Amino acid sequence: MKALRDYVKSLFLLELMKGLGLTGRYLFKKKFTVQYPEEKAPISSRFRGVHALRRYPNGEERCIACKLCEATCPALAITIEAEPRDDGSRRTTRYDIDLFKCIFCGYCQEACPVDAIVETRIYEYSFENRQEAVLTKEKLLAIGDKCEAQLAADISAQADYR
Amino acid sequence: MPEIRNYTLNFGPQHPAAHGVLRLVLEMDGEVIERADPHIGLLHRATEKLAESKPYLQSVPYMDRLDYMSMMCNEHAYVRAIEKLVGTKVPVRAQYIRTMFDEITRILNHLLWLGTHALDVGAMTMFLYCFREREDLMDCYEAVTGARLHAAYYRPGGVYRDLPDQMPNHEYNEFRSKADIDRMNEVRQGSLLDFISAFTDRFPGKVDEYETLLTDNRIWKQRTVGIGVVSPERAQQLGFTGPMIRGSGFAWDLRKKQTYAAYDQVEFDIPVGQNGDCYDRYLVRIEELRQSNRIVKQCVEWLRANPGPVIAEDHKIAAPSRADVRGDMESLIHHFKLFTEGFCPPAGEVYTAVEAPKGEFGCYVISDGANKPYRLKLRAPGFAHLSAMNEMVEGHMLADVVAIIGTMDIVFGEIDR
Amino acid sequence: MSDDQMVTIEVDGRKLEAKAGELLIEVTDAAGINIPRFCYHKKLSVSANCRMCLVEVSKVPKPIPACATTVNNGMQVFTRSPLALAAQKGTMEFLLINHPLDCPICDQGGECELQDVAVGYGSDVSRFVEGKRVIPERNIGPLIATDFTRCIHCTRCVRFGAEIAGIRELGATGRGEHMEIGTYVEKSIDSELSGNIIDVCPVGSLTSKPARYQARAWELVQREAVAPHDSVGSNLHIHLRRNQVMRVHPKDNESVNECWISDRDRFSYLGLYSEDRVTRPLIKTEGQWKECDWQEALDFAAQGMKKARGGDGDQIGALVSPTATLEEMYLTRKLMGGLGSRNVDSRLRQGDFRGEESAPWLGQSIADLDNLNGVLLIGSNVRKEQPIFAHRLRKAAMEGAWVGFVTPFELDMNYRAEQLVSSPAGMISDLAAVAKALGLSGSLVDDAEVSDVHQRVAEKLKTAEKTTVLLGNLAVAHMDYSLLRHLGALIADATDSVLGFLPEAANSVGARLVGVAGGDGLDSLAMLNSPRKGYLLLGVEPDWDFWNPSLARQSLSEAEFVVALSAYRSASLEENADVILPVAGFTESSGTYVNAEGIWQSFNGSVKPMGEARPAWKVLRVLGNLLDVADFEYNSSSQVLEEARDSSTIQPGGNSSTPGELNVRTPAAGLVRAGDVPLYASDALVRRSNPLQKTNDAISAAVHVNPQVAKDGGFSAGDQVMVKQGNTGATMALVIDEAIPDGCARIPAALSGTGELGGQFGEVTLEKA
Repeated sequence: MKALRDYVKSLFLLELMKGLGLTGRYLFKKKFTVQYPEEKAPISSRFRGVHALRRYPNGEERCIACKLCEATCPALAITIEAEPRDDGSRRTTRYDIDLFKCIFCGYCQEACPVDAIVETRIYEYSFENRQEAVLTKEKLLAIGDKCEAQLAADISAQADYR
Repeated sequence: MPEIRNYTLNFGPQHPAAHGVLRLVLEMDGEVIERADPHIGLLHRATEKLAESKPYLQSVPYMDRLDYMSMMCNEHAYVRAIEKLVGTKVPVRAQYIRTMFDEITRILNHLLWLGTHALDVGAMTMFLYCFREREDLMDCYEAVTGARLHAAYYRPGGVYRDLPDQMPNHEYNEFRSKADIDRMNEVRQGSLLDFISAFTDRFPGKVDEYETLLTDNRIWKQRTVGIGVVSPERAQQLGFTGPMIRGSGFAWDLRKKQTYAAYDQVEFDIPVGQNGDCYDRYLVRIEELRQSNRIVKQCVEWLRANPGPVIAEDHKIAAPSRADVRGDMESLIHHFKLFTEGFCPPAGEVYTAVEAPKGEFGCYVISDGANKPYRLKLRAPGFAHLSAMNEMVEGHMLADVVAIIGTMDIVFGEIDR
Repeated sequence: MSDDQMVTIEVDGRKLEAKAGELLIEVTDAAGINIPRFCYHKKLSVSANCRMCLVEVSKVPKPIPACATTVNNGMQVFTRSPLALAAQKGTMEFLLINHPLDCPICDQGGECELQDVAVGYGSDVSRFVEGKRVIPERNIGPLIATDFTRCIHCTRCVRFGAEIAGIRELGATGRGEHMEIGTYVEKSIDSELSGNIIDVCPVGSLTSKPARYQARAWELVQREAVAPHDSVGSNLHIHLRRNQVMRVHPKDNESVNECWISDRDRFSYLGLYSEDRVTRPLIKTEGQWKECDWQEALDFAAQGMKKARGGDGDQIGALVSPTATLEEMYLTRKLMGGLGSRNVDSRLRQGDFRGEESAPWLGQSIADLDNLNGVLLIGSNVRKEQPIFAHRLRKAAMEGAWVGFVTPFELDMNYRAEQLVSSPAGMISDLAAVAKALGLSGSLVDDAEVSDVHQRVAEKLKTAEKTTVLLGNLAVAHMDYSLLRHLGALIADATDSVLGFLPEAANSVGARLVGVAGGDGLDSLAMLNSPRKGYLLLGVEPDWDFWNPSLARQSLSEAEFVVALSAYRSASLEENADVILPVAGFTESSGTYVNAEGIWQSFNGSVKPMGEARPAWKVLRVLGNLLDVADFEYNSSSQVLEEARDSSTIQPGGNSSTPGELNVRTPAAGLVRAGDVPLYASDALVRRSNPLQKTNDAISAAVHVNPQVAKDGGFSAGDQVMVKQGNTGATMALVIDEAIPDGCARIPAALSGTGELGGQFGEVTLEKA
């Protein structure tokens, strides 16, 4: 009896028909495809995108050149040079992040005692030549200025977790 | 009379079915494999050596990049090694979070394996369906760690931060109706745990769909039944672990045998195969999807009911909280030292292993008392599996090589390290 | 109980042998058992005020400080017992109460003892919620940055000042929470050893100002080097980052510099990055300097030398800086020898070449200086010439040694010493009088008038057990150096003292050993007095490195061809040289120095030479090849060293002196210049270290005379006066200084504005400008 049933099943391609039925039903379902780049998948306030250097509301840069980010960077992507500024404060003269080396682990923002170096929600970036892969202090500050509202919101949203 | 010679065929390293950068040198008698010689090392990054020059904490992100399909499991093995070395107690909540994410990772890994394995063998649709579910889990990854793949989430002493109380929502846009987006956001209204909970509710149905497409499918069976048979004895001798050995009928699972994290607190079964062929291994992994789902569900319930710390309070090992660093001298000093010099475990050696989706992922650390490991050795399950390639493909047809590579679930990140 | 009786103690269950009376912390340190500490320092007195080293000792109810506890037989010590750990944790908590949250901006972060001990022994969370103490910032000079808010009151700096530097510059005022470290005199720290307080400070209270905020400890790579200035040959650790010297620290060497170095050794590296550095070869054509490539410059130099030499090798000479390495000196001599010239000299600041002497060296080991009972220093401002020697002598003096000086101006001392201050001519008669008091006789001695002071000096030298007579830089520069040396030798002989010299520069002794000084060619003065047609200058700046700069410049400018190997360009060099070959500076080249004690100390280059500069030995080697000198194939400086060592026949032995003619050249009447070389003007590198040039020891050119001389000439302080010395003259400010004796004008050399003058010693007249 079982042999007969199997024979019928096999002859009429029943299991294949079932599969086709499953895929066929999806034809009429709502699509779950996200139409990138017009539409983007949601990302959280923890997202680790490209870096930025932040400023205080009065325009003063936050970074105090403590070099914890440089020390903790597993990929050695950060290069900092520092010296006393004219007002005697400790400031960087160079703050480079080599995006070719960076592994976006987030340790830099974790180590930063003043929330100066942060990772933004920006994940779309490209370079046309290799030099551009090095984010200089100016570029980082510019990214920070552009994203400050979002960054401040994200950091305060995460404050309870860290 | 022309001389009859075997063909030597290079399979990979750029073959799409080579799962990365495997180069197989195949000696063929017609279409039958006489010998297969896997060449590895094309993705070697010296992770073990690199770890010798970094404080312990800084190697965590590199663990993600070993088996890049099961990121958190690799991290788990590594942080467990450090915890064992130092003797840190991990809070229970962190244990449950780790258990949950290990299982989420297992689902992620098996889904990718299923999709690509089926694709290699000729079933395109599976790939799309599997990635649909993966997307939800990657959103969990992203919501909790900030990265969809390379989490860097586990820390010696616990996990970096607690699960978020909010899931990010899709934004309204002109390409989709508001109602549509609201529908997509429906599961995202609550916390991450709600989102995962909803996933676990719908996921068994999805697994049923995969089975509808494959389990009875004659083409699938023709391509997998009786292919790459490994006997239980041989599987042991070859050092198989994970679904590879369970497919041969040997119920070996570190989660049960050498339990860790919260696995002794949750219920689940170990599926085993009977014949040790590709089809049985497929069935084992499908069942593991269901079992993992079961574990995740239990973890979600526990985590909802039991708030608490997620990382050890001992700031000699685990970084102090942000607020403390700003106001408290001891915390600032510990923060500073942890992120620059790191901590120094006592001299000694440990081996810890976790049941990674692919098998036993082990981590052997020798400490000489310095702030970086004297030696780190990683036991990648895929390496042992790949070593059996010659034995498994011998006498099979060329097309079966693809099925066997697929069934091994190899990822070169861990094999080449 | 005798001092060397051994006792057995038990620390954490380990049996340890110790000398009775030893401190517990010394015993555990030697055994490698770590006890945390802040105030204890092996070279400073015990104050036991930080309480960090509390340990449990059996039969003692309370924990006691290991740094103030002497060992007893059978004592049982527990450094990690619950009681000890609780005590250490409690101490740490108190220490951190007032410590500011400065780690991120503090230069000490990463190498801070407070951090290390806090992580190792302290709690991981603070219970302190009250406000912290703040102390306003103080400026204590250009070398040391202070932040006393971070101070944990270990008083190491205070004790360093009092016990080592010999100046009570830092002190603690107030008690408890209100205790503050301050400078007694609200002024910069004027010690030639002040930089060492940076090292002794366990926290970030005292940090290096020039290196401020520039590098973290973990970024730095450590290399070894030998100090290139004075003849101590202090061992250094060079800390580099990305091919740049970020700072210099002492390397412990108990027999040379202990764990200290002078500020000159510590901060001179900043001169490496001066704008004056020559980074490409320069040649002068028709009075115009232009940069060119090495090949062109070397060809030009070789051609020029050949032409200047003509047929007579004697027509050329080499003047070598005494801070050049042994290899460079040897190659220079060999190069000149290959060209047929024996005229090589590095004794550029010697004022009198009469008579003969053995290779002058310290005559004893450096560590021996600690144990002397009597010292007579002739013409030596040792504190400003070889600060580490001064520290050693001070140690001896603190132990009761008698120290006497024969000096042309009163020296600023940090311990009690007898000073025989008299004019340059008076120095000779003082020594002669001492010799006479010792019962000697001879042509100089017989006429001397012996006073009580001379009697006393003679007495002290004769009665003290271990004594030495040392001649310093001022004696060497004296126009009657041979007489001072002769008298010194006589006195040493008569009192059974060791005759020693405090050589001027890092390689003054080495120069002798390879025949660059004291060879059979012309000496430096003769080479300039009877001008040569060609000169090779190695690391020399005409304005500042010669005994008689105006003579030097004249002779050089009249020469047909002058090749200069130099790391720096300066106006006087550009004026006189025809080609400047850029050579590596300090830390950039491998080499060897022989210090005052005669120890050969070799070192490797730590950083790449700046720009296209090359190590001087390589430049000399190629010059030798271009000039077809035989056997000039060297591939490494160690090959040169080996050859130099093999060929050197002189070894420093006992110092001896044979006088030449015994006539006194120093004018007995009138005003005689005493030209010392100030601490921070000694060589090209130091002169370009900006922070050192901002210290109070970096004086500017001036005439120092005593009030009587000023009154006689009708001058008042601050007047611009015209100094005339022979046919030379320069205008500078006049300083009235009680420390100067009658008949003497102290006009320091090697400063900008003194290059127009003649010899460091000589008759001068002052006129109103």
